[in-house]
Amino acid sequence: MAARVACPGVHLPLTNKFLVRMAELLFDDIFRVERVNPDGKKFDKVTRIEARSEKCGMFMQLDVNTDIYPIVKDERFLMALSTSLSLEGGQQSLADKFEYIMHGKLYKISDETRAKTSDGGSGPVIEVEIYVSFGGLQMMLKGDPSHCAGFELEQRLFLLIRKLT
Amino acid sequence: MLQVEVAQYINSDVRVQSLMQVAKPLAGFVQRLKGKQGRFRGNLSGKRVEYTGRTVISPDPNLKITEVAIPIQMALVLTYPERVSHHNIEKLRQCVSNGRNKYPGAGKITYSDGSSRVPFHNVRRKLADALKYGDIVHRHLEDGDIVLFNRQPSLHRMSIMCHRARVMPWRTLRFNESVCNPYNADFDGDEMNLHVPQTEEARTEAVLLMGVQNNLCTPKNGEILVASTQDFLTSSFLITRKDTFYDRASFSLMCSYMVDGMDFVDLPTPAILKPIELWTGKQLFSVLVRPHANVRVYVSLTVKEKNYIKSKEEGEREPEAMCPNDGFVYFRNSELLSGQLGKATLGNGNKDGLFSVLLRDYKAHAAAACMNRLAKLSARWIGNHGFSIGIDDVQPSKYLNDRRQETIFKGYQGCDKKIQLYNEGNLPPETGCDAAQTLEAGITRILNNIRDETGKVCMKELHWRNSPLIMSQCGSKGSPINISQMIACVGQQSVGGRRAPNGFIDRSLPHFPRKAKTPAAKGFVANSFYSGLTATEFFFHTMGGREGLVDTAVKTADTGYMSRRLMKALEDLSIHYDNTVRNASGCVVQFRYGDDGMDPASMEGKSGAPLNFDRLFLKAKATCPAGGNEYLSPFEVSERVESRLLEDDMTPEGGCSVAFKNSFKSFLDEYVKSLTKTREAFESVENLAAKENSAIREKIVKNISGVTPKQLEVFLNTCISRYHLKQIEAGTAIGAIGAQSIGEPGTQMTLKTFHFAGVASMNITLGVPRIKEIINGNKNISTPIITAALKHDNNVNTARMVRGRIEKTNLGQVAKSIKLVMTSRLASLVVTLDMERIRDVQLCIDANIVKESIIQTPKLKLKQEHIKVLDVGKLEILSPDTDRSKIHFQLHSLKNLLPTVIVKGIKTVERAIIKKEENKKTKTSKYSLLVEGTGLKEVMGTEGIDGRKTTSNHVLEVHQTLGIEAARKCIIEEIKYTMESHGMSIDIRHMMLLADLMTFRGDVLGITRFGIQKMGKSILMLASFEKTSDHLFSASVNGRDDRIEGVTECIIMGIPMPIGTGMLKVKQRDTLPSKLDYRPNAILS
Repeated sequence: MAARVACPGVHLPLTNKFLVRMAELLFDDIFRVERVNPDGKKFDKVTRIEARSEKCGMFMQLDVNTDIYPIVKDERFLMALSTSLSLEGGQQSLADKFEYIMHGKLYKISDETRAKTSDGGSGPVIEVEIYVSFGGLQMMLKGDPSHCAGFELEQRLFLLIRKLT
Repeated sequence: MLQVEVAQYINSDVRVQSLMQVAKPLAGFVQRLKGKQGRFRGNLSGKRVEYTGRTVISPDPNLKITEVAIPIQMALVLTYPERVSHHNIEKLRQCVSNGRNKYPGAGKITYSDGSSRVPFHNVRRKLADALKYGDIVHRHLEDGDIVLFNRQPSLHRMSIMCHRARVMPWRTLRFNESVCNPYNADFDGDEMNLHVPQTEEARTEAVLLMGVQNNLCTPKNGEILVASTQDFLTSSFLITRKDTFYDRASFSLMCSYMVDGMDFVDLPTPAILKPIELWTGKQLFSVLVRPHANVRVYVSLTVKEKNYIKSKEEGEREPEAMCPNDGFVYFRNSELLSGQLGKATLGNGNKDGLFSVLLRDYKAHAAAACMNRLAKLSARWIGNHGFSIGIDDVQPSKYLNDRRQETIFKGYQGCDKKIQLYNEGNLPPETGCDAAQTLEAGITRILNNIRDETGKVCMKELHWRNSPLIMSQCGSKGSPINISQMIACVGQQSVGGRRAPNGFIDRSLPHFPRKAKTPAAKGFVANSFYSGLTATEFFFHTMGGREGLVDTAVKTADTGYMSRRLMKALEDLSIHYDNTVRNASGCVVQFRYGDDGMDPASMEGKSGAPLNFDRLFLKAKATCPAGGNEYLSPFEVSERVESRLLEDDMTPEGGCSVAFKNSFKSFLDEYVKSLTKTREAFESVENLAAKENSAIREKIVKNISGVTPKQLEVFLNTCISRYHLKQIEAGTAIGAIGAQSIGEPGTQMTLKTFHFAGVASMNITLGVPRIKEIINGNKNISTPIITAALKHDNNVNTARMVRGRIEKTNLGQVAKSIKLVMTSRLASLVVTLDMERIRDVQLCIDANIVKESIIQTPKLKLKQEHIKVLDVGKLEILSPDTDRSKIHFQLHSLKNLLPTVIVKGIKTVERAIIKKEENKKTKTSKYSLLVEGTGLKEVMGTEGIDGRKTTSNHVLEVHQTLGIEAARKCIIEEIKYTMESHGMSIDIRHMMLLADLMTFRGDVLGITRFGIQKMGKSILMLASFEKTSDHLFSASVNGRDDRIEGVTECIIMGIPMPIGTGMLKVKQRDTLPSKLDYRPNAILS
């Protein structure tokens, strides 16, 4: 439990020195696409992906414009959430490091209690759900409350994605 | 002879002994007064006016919703008298010098001395130069002038509204399509009327009371009426699709569409920044609602659109914004976060839609401006995008065809099976039906299923670009049924609520064998409109179509007369300054309008609740960001709420109804409960984990459902202050509004006139006929039903017993035999009761009871001494006649009559049915009785019935049994039920008012000429209603006088009526001016 708390942006597989210094990253992790369009294909250009993160075990549903940035099942990608694209003391932008960037608003935080005992523990497990809308493209991030401390309602967020090969 | 002539002079309808044939009697005085074209209704109640116009209408989305385009030709004729002043003299000089045939010109100039000149060609220059302050120029209509716009039938007050003129070329009157709804107009050749108010006072009153922007809502139920329609919905739906993306150029272009490129627009940050900048269609709508930072409009709302997928299992969480169909519309601070916009958000008839919320939170101007922007954007966008329908849109695919064939085949098989069972006599009947009815119901169910199922497949298989599909999804036009009729299967045709009737002997058409019950023989159309109908199918389809046409024609006449009667009865009711509703003579009808004195037009919540707390709470939380403020604990919240609710404006004396206070309190209690629950959920988990996380957890809890002091304060204050603003204004002609609100929906009622009351086979009248019955206060209604509650409602057997007590039982049903016994000494009838059977159905009948009931049947003329009880189950009946020759025949006729003697039950009851209600949660069933027929008193008195919960739908019977207050309640409930079963929501306050008017004299008065007469109305009003001559004659004989205080009387006399703005009179100093002598001086004095 204590190991997982340190998740936000401190020791992640980003060896780049800029990224290590980034304090404004609210969340980042490597995700693997588990399912594509769980409810069937509804839109031509937009795909809903279900992914799970490798470090924090977060579950994510995300609408991606696959017309310009195709994502398929079992792909791994690095996803980060940040309130700003600018980096400390430099002309460089966070955007340079990523391939796909969306901007949106955090509009809802809710909780879900599940009677799950997967990690050996007993009793109910509480999970926090973060809802962000990127101009109508939805993101739902669900996981342990300890990873969601930086989020606040009405926050404007950048979602950054880079594929890992 | 003279008498005949005189009588005919007065009334040419008087009957004359036909001594001589008059060629054609002249119209008598009475004929000139009465009737629709007569003096009263034709000339006194409705007068012909000048300054009007009428022509064909057409749409123009570029106009504002408050505008109407007027053709120049019309503007040349319609004039407005404008007084010359310092500010307009130059403009009016120009008008005068243009003359009367050039726009903008003037028709006439009136001078202060009363003379007037027409600016003809030769003098107009001179007149223009001579114009001076104070003259009145009758100038042509110009842009911005105030006009009244109307379309018949004027069913409600929004049928005539005030617009601003826009003088334009071409020959039609044009307006924004958003305003089609209140007028019920379309552009298939409709014509509309135009009136130009001629004084500043009239203009002011028109624009303030009748202006479009002040009539966006209907007072019928507070729903928005002026809203987007048709193409606007379609294009909004397509723009907000999840996969519409625009680059910078096209997004900016579309932003300029909506503001004509004349206003500032703040471009939002693109939703996708990399790999390329892309904006979504939803962001375009965020711009539409709030174009730039200086527009202080922060809308927050949630709406579930038609294609929203609800969670299937109970207890499962709603997907809300994550709905895979994108059917959950969520606006937060004027930003569209999710959802594809359709009719529920943008259209009329939803209180939580975008325009409703704009209207309530940011007033009419914001809503109107947003509608203008949407109209412009949609019209231009869809013009470029293109939207049409073609034959390929209705061509079924092979898969669809196969599925359709399969479904129809399966359905037919099911029907055949049922028919076979029926023919063999093995069909198990349903409760309260015989075999034939059961068969019909079964087959109809199967056939309706076929259409639904094919329709469903159809909707699933169509490509999303299919135009009819788009239109039905967004709600702009057409329904899934329409689509499946075009593509898959037209379905069962019904005539009079059942399958096609037998027009020939035992068959519907000679193409089928006799007594055929197959789907095809009784009007099932298996083909689609695309595949084409067979000859017989086509014929059945026309039968259904004809019925619809006839019904519409009959209905218009019926509802028109009903509206007229309602209007005449309610027209003079208005709110007074002491909050009472009174009629013209000051008689109190209600002590407080609708029990809470709220204005139905501004009710925001569902079913007439003043506010929608959920939405206001969401708005309060969204508009007051938490920032660094401290959140409140549940205890603090309830503490603050308590103290606020004790303040003066939440007390009954402060004008707050108890119902509102209670609902407000329960909402807040509910919130505190949920807040506590979230906290506890986190705390219970926290105990297991490390303590150091508590700060983080606390923060999350607050983000989830916390509230800051500021947010709570804002919420409480908005709710309370807004509640107080919703009080109805004194002077409102609430009677007329109520009459229109009940009369207008009548025209929209579909031909569904019957409906099952819980149990199949038990029909109750609905629709216009039922409303008529209630309003007329009929003595005999077509389907009286008593709903009786049982004392023990969980047992079928007790229910059956009680039913046995209520339902009438004949002697024939319980007798084993009725025999004629002839001996040498005596002739008699012996009745043997079937005691076994009686015991089986648990009736307590024995010979003594039978004897009593025979004696009480007067038709038989039998007395005590004629009947002998032999034992428990046997009676002997002697003939009352002693004449030996007649005895034989007498006994025979008695023998025929005896089986019809009612031995048990209530005579007026036709039948009683047990209604079973299953509760899915507890898996228990509740039973109640539905009794067809009258006799409420007897049913209530029956043992085993809970009289306190027993009601009837017969108003007059309820009045006789339970009294006038119960009758009032019954009227309200019955009108409400009828309206609701047609899917129409009407504010309960209107029905209360009607019910109060019908009962306030202590007797149930129907809204008919007899009832209205008893409501204490003036003679002139009664004469203008019906039976003109009778009222006038009786009034003159009795020397009645009329105080001219009602609406009709004032209109007849041409004076302002004491309602609304005419309620108050201005007090003037009463020093009389010096008397002027108009006569010429007498020559001789």
